[in-house]
Amino acid sequence: MIPRRAFLGSLLAAASAPRLSWADAGDPAWLGAARDSSGAYLLIGLAQDGAERFRIPLPTRGHAAAAHPTAPEAVAFARRPGAFALVIDCVSGAVTHRLQSPQGRHFYGHGAFIAGGDILCTTENEIESGAGRIGLWSRKRGYERIGEIASHGIGPHEILSTPDDVLIVANGGIRTHPDHGRDKLNVPEMRPSLAYVAPDGTLLEEVVLEEDLHLNSIRHLARAADGTVAFAMQWQGDVSDPVPLLGLHKRGAAPRLLSADLAEQMAMQGYAGSVAFSRTGADVAITSPRGGRVHRFNVGSDAVQSLTRADVCGLAPAARGLVATDGLGGVIRLSTSVEPLASFSGLSWDNHLVAL
Amino acid sequence: MRVVLALALLANPALAGVPEAVRDHILPATAQFSDASGALAEAALNDCTANALQDDFHATYDAWMGLAHLRFGPVEEDGRVLAISFWPDTRGMVPRTVAGLIADEDLAVEDPASFAEVSIAGRGLSALERLLFEPQLSGYIKESYSCKFAQALSVDLAAMAQAIDKEWRTDFAQVVTSAGAEGNATFLTESEAAQALYTSLTTGIEFNADQRIGRPLGTFDRPRPTRAEAHRSGRSLRNVILSLEALNSFAHALADGPTPQTDAAFQAALGAARELDDPVFAGVEDPQARLKAEILQQRIKAILPAVSNEVGVPLGVSAGFNATDGD
Repeated sequence: MIPRRAFLGSLLAAASAPRLSWADAGDPAWLGAARDSSGAYLLIGLAQDGAERFRIPLPTRGHAAAAHPTAPEAVAFARRPGAFALVIDCVSGAVTHRLQSPQGRHFYGHGAFIAGGDILCTTENEIESGAGRIGLWSRKRGYERIGEIASHGIGPHEILSTPDDVLIVANGGIRTHPDHGRDKLNVPEMRPSLAYVAPDGTLLEEVVLEEDLHLNSIRHLARAADGTVAFAMQWQGDVSDPVPLLGLHKRGAAPRLLSADLAEQMAMQGYAGSVAFSRTGADVAITSPRGGRVHRFNVGSDAVQSLTRADVCGLAPAARGLVATDGLGGVIRLSTSVEPLASFSGLSWDNHLVAL
Repeated sequence: MRVVLALALLANPALAGVPEAVRDHILPATAQFSDASGALAEAALNDCTANALQDDFHATYDAWMGLAHLRFGPVEEDGRVLAISFWPDTRGMVPRTVAGLIADEDLAVEDPASFAEVSIAGRGLSALERLLFEPQLSGYIKESYSCKFAQALSVDLAAMAQAIDKEWRTDFAQVVTSAGAEGNATFLTESEAAQALYTSLTTGIEFNADQRIGRPLGTFDRPRPTRAEAHRSGRSLRNVILSLEALNSFAHALADGPTPQTDAAFQAALGAARELDDPVFAGVEDPQARLKAEILQQRIKAILPAVSNEVGVPLGVSAGFNATDGD
């Protein structure tokens, strides 16, 4: 629970507008974490045409970044089970704050802003119990920890916020413990969920799949302007099982699962790495680096198109359609075929591409 | 043109071995598969009965082992990998689909274009194996539905094999060897083609250890011998041996220099495989025989570091960044 005074106080503080905007960082369209040929890790800003706008060194491998809605500021999360996140000024490249997960907690790699960018919400593991938590941090107070709420599930991974500050959480369902690295400790009993949570911790709505899909870890999220949420899954059963890896959900309705044909579905290897809607919300896509594929669905007709690209994972909306990044340094526009936008020789793009 | 290409290759270590792998490994394998499946189709049209087709079935399956690991480009186009061999079949879709087609006497077998639209679980070597080797199905006579089914399966296999061979020869060989050139939308940089070939090499090695041997091994408490690939036709171990032989020649062609560690590692695995007197891994339930299968699995895994040192590092490529380490 956020102390009420802190919550209101930070809302009021948000009224004093930030001085710099994303235009000062070269108006990047996307942020991506990457590794270069020397093995160093970077956060890179990309323009709509795939050109590099900035490149900032990261001390360790990044997973995802949460971009501030207005200020040119990104929070880069270490890969789970990471104990820190870095707030990066994307104009100067300076690390302005370092968030340390509290005692007995670690980050899961994603975060989202609410309250007009004044509060950062981070997915976390309460190590002792395995319960998922959402940490709350006040930007106005220099990213001070101001509270935490339940994620209402185990292993929360990606988190999104809506314009009216509802948190959408992918509770992957998989319990991990830092003493066991990334080992999965509860696969037979896992129960992933998609949770809608108010900033005061109230569970507003929960989506749980049918029992025969309880091994399908709900991990990544996208949201269309009309409020439709897309969730991407990672199957913890046999990699050759042809199970759906993408679901669409509207508040108050049952989820709808989307699949490609049998051969294409099996080619995904039970793994979707990222999910994104196009800006219009007409298309939704998932990537599978293991299958070297992007599946793009038309939301209205469920028609699916498969595009092949080795080690593809990052995915985000573009001005027109969608753009993907891959482990070979490629920045790819997805149309009827794959159209290279840019190729960064020696660079490996990491799991996620964040649209600004 | 050829001179220019050759000069470009000299200047660029990332492409070294790629043209050789195409010429010495891939194109001979696609031709061999096309020939073998063509002979199978011809034989099926001549005499469709199970006894008459078993030798050609084996020859076709043998040839498929020469290129089954090339899971990119023409081999994966149109879902061909699974349409040719639907394995692993974790949901029992092949027996269900084959039984369903026979029970319904589905007319798709009358016409190759219609048959190409049948579920991939009812096509290819996996479905044909059931018709030819499953005692309850293999007793069919000429002019029966199953006879036409066997013919349709064989003709369909030959058509896919021919298409793979043709696409590699007329188009994809050029796409691979012109990686990074203007207009090449498949391989954006020169090293991407080497990366694709290298990934198919290492994935192919892992597939033998993790799938072909790992599936029947199951766990010590719960071995799963009936999960062995192609156990009905008695060729589970044969598939491992043929695949390893093909992968060894592939590694050789793709490498920039000599590959003594890699060759020794392949020979050690092949030696263990040839000594394993257990063609369908039936022994996984017996502790002694199981140990031998586990040793074979370990020998296959031990090929990977050698391949990384002698093939991957000189080419400047490694396993996929995201594919191997997701979240």
